[in-house]
Amino acid sequence: MKMSDERLRREERIRLASDNERLSGLRPWLGIVATALSLLAVWMGLVWAPTDAVQGDVYRVIYVHVPTAWLAYLAFVVVFLASIGWLWSRRPWFDALAVASAEIGVLFTGLFIVAGSIWAKPTWGVWWTWDPRLVTTAVMFVMYVGYLLLRGLSTDFERRATRAAVVGVIAVVDIPIVHLSVLWMNSVHQLPTVARIGAGPALDASMGLTLGVSVLAFTFVYVALLVERIDIERHRQARVLETRR
Amino acid sequence: MSAPQRALLIAARELFAERAHPDGLAAALTFTGMLVLLESLAFGPGRAREPDVASGVFWIAILFAAMLMTQRSFDRELEDDAIDAVIALPGGRDALFAGKAFALGLLMVIVGVAGGALSIFLLDLEIALPGHLAFVVLLGLVALAPVIVMNNVVALRVRARVAVVPILSFPMLVPQLIAASQGSAAALAGDAAVALSWGALLAAFAFVYAVLGLTIVPAAIE
Amino acid sequence: MLRNVSLELPPGLTLLRGPNGSGKTTLLRAMAGLVPLARGRRQTPPSLLYVGHRPMLLRGLSPRANLAFFASFRGRTIDTNEVLRRWGLQDVAGLPVERLSAGQRKRASLARIDLETENVVLLDEPFADLDSDGVVLLRAALMSALARDQSVLLATHFHEELDRDAKQRFVLGDGELRAI
Repeated sequence: MKMSDERLRREERIRLASDNERLSGLRPWLGIVATALSLLAVWMGLVWAPTDAVQGDVYRVIYVHVPTAWLAYLAFVVVFLASIGWLWSRRPWFDALAVASAEIGVLFTGLFIVAGSIWAKPTWGVWWTWDPRLVTTAVMFVMYVGYLLLRGLSTDFERRATRAAVVGVIAVVDIPIVHLSVLWMNSVHQLPTVARIGAGPALDASMGLTLGVSVLAFTFVYVALLVERIDIERHRQARVLETRR
Repeated sequence: MSAPQRALLIAARELFAERAHPDGLAAALTFTGMLVLLESLAFGPGRAREPDVASGVFWIAILFAAMLMTQRSFDRELEDDAIDAVIALPGGRDALFAGKAFALGLLMVIVGVAGGALSIFLLDLEIALPGHLAFVVLLGLVALAPVIVMNNVVALRVRARVAVVPILSFPMLVPQLIAASQGSAAALAGDAAVALSWGALLAAFAFVYAVLGLTIVPAAIE
Repeated sequence: MLRNVSLELPPGLTLLRGPNGSGKTTLLRAMAGLVPLARGRRQTPPSLLYVGHRPMLLRGLSPRANLAFFASFRGRTIDTNEVLRRWGLQDVAGLPVERLSAGQRKRASLARIDLETENVVLLDEPFADLDSDGVVLLRAALMSALARDQSVLLATHFHEELDRDAKQRFVLGDGELRAI
């Protein structure tokens, strides 16, 4: 039986250095594009897009609500893929990606829920409905929080990564099942579909364009934040590696 | 010895240990009974008899009871380091997850049947479709096991495990809760088709998580 | 924390010495596959028995049931009563292990050496908690294992007399392993 201390430590440091080189050229541009697109989206959403005939100006929340939904799910999928990546290869970069995406995901999921409530109250008179998408996203929010809590309570680097990765995988599998369950439940109870958040007004071309720009802007914001957060995490990982020497 | 046999050996050991010190089972049974009683009082006897309410009350109680029992089971593992003895054996990790999930499923059936009987008695419940009810309840109980065992394993050596496990498990168990309470309510009220379809969802849920557990979780056992 | 540790186990006795807290237990646990390695590789042996410092017996079961469990798990059927008698545990064979004394629990744990004859045997402070009779029994079990050409790694403080039988001797200090 043989065990030996490895060059892996050295290899890891080389990878970290090349990560930084590759990204450091990109990062300022990502931030600039994200900011520019966001400003454009804000202007288009608040000023340029026409007022809706039925819902008035309240409908403009859709320009936040829809992109955040898309990003919440995207972030979750990224956590899933990163978790698989870690379990497969044990490369620390995957763990950094997972935690970064999870943190940003919590943010966007929370935003989605708040935006949804802001839209629902003046439009349909309720703060919350049992719409499958809303319920599923709420469940997802709690899962993300649980994921981060688990990470926060763990101390050892590899164990934390493995535990979190397992949760990252099993949580994602649950999402479609949750969605299906709530959908069935609503159909059995024949809940009114009028108060379905997300079933927005018919969009005309300019609204559609504004929505597209918003989605793009939010996506760039996500990627920009992701890259920054991964960088922070990689530096933390490097410090842990150093103390092991 | 094959992998399923090893899992059964672990399950047998779990059941023997529970028989020697049934604190987990006792706690779960007492807790279920208490909760059913309390919730019925909170809703009032009239409301508590309605299929929806009676179902919901029962399944929430079972959820908490299952948490308690699994918690106790894993506390026992940690107390004597015997978990190390098992993990060090070839095929130990896989057998541990499978065996514990199986044993817990069985124990939950005991708790569920007792709790169900109590509910029926206390609330004088009318059961339109007893066969369908049994079907849904059994599947609902079994569906709990993989998820709760999984989360206990993941959080085994984490601080505040007793808080982390429910936080991780409850969102994951939302489909189980919905399906089990809706299915039970349907069986109580006499809607056979609805009861069966919820039962099918429970079976699928249990299957998916059993498979997922067997593939991923053993790697996470520390 | 262990660093720069490289170890190969040939058939025969390998002794591992080192002061308290030097990491002997961690090293053995890592070799048993219980501790994930931050760096390095562990070559899985064809079969391995790990007996830790603490008895590691299954609660709620008797010594007989414990040994039967471990034997069955490995697909063996062995006369547990005979082994228990050899280790002087016949009187307590059917009692739940919580009711045994520390010495009896240790013997039950060590009885696995006779039961599970694996290629590699890792023993962490096996002499701890044993009375003089127990020590004699353990030495006999060790000699049998060595006669079967098993690779035994024994971590201990004392018992210099074992140096005589040892093929390799190591000392663990400051997280590093040194051969002596």
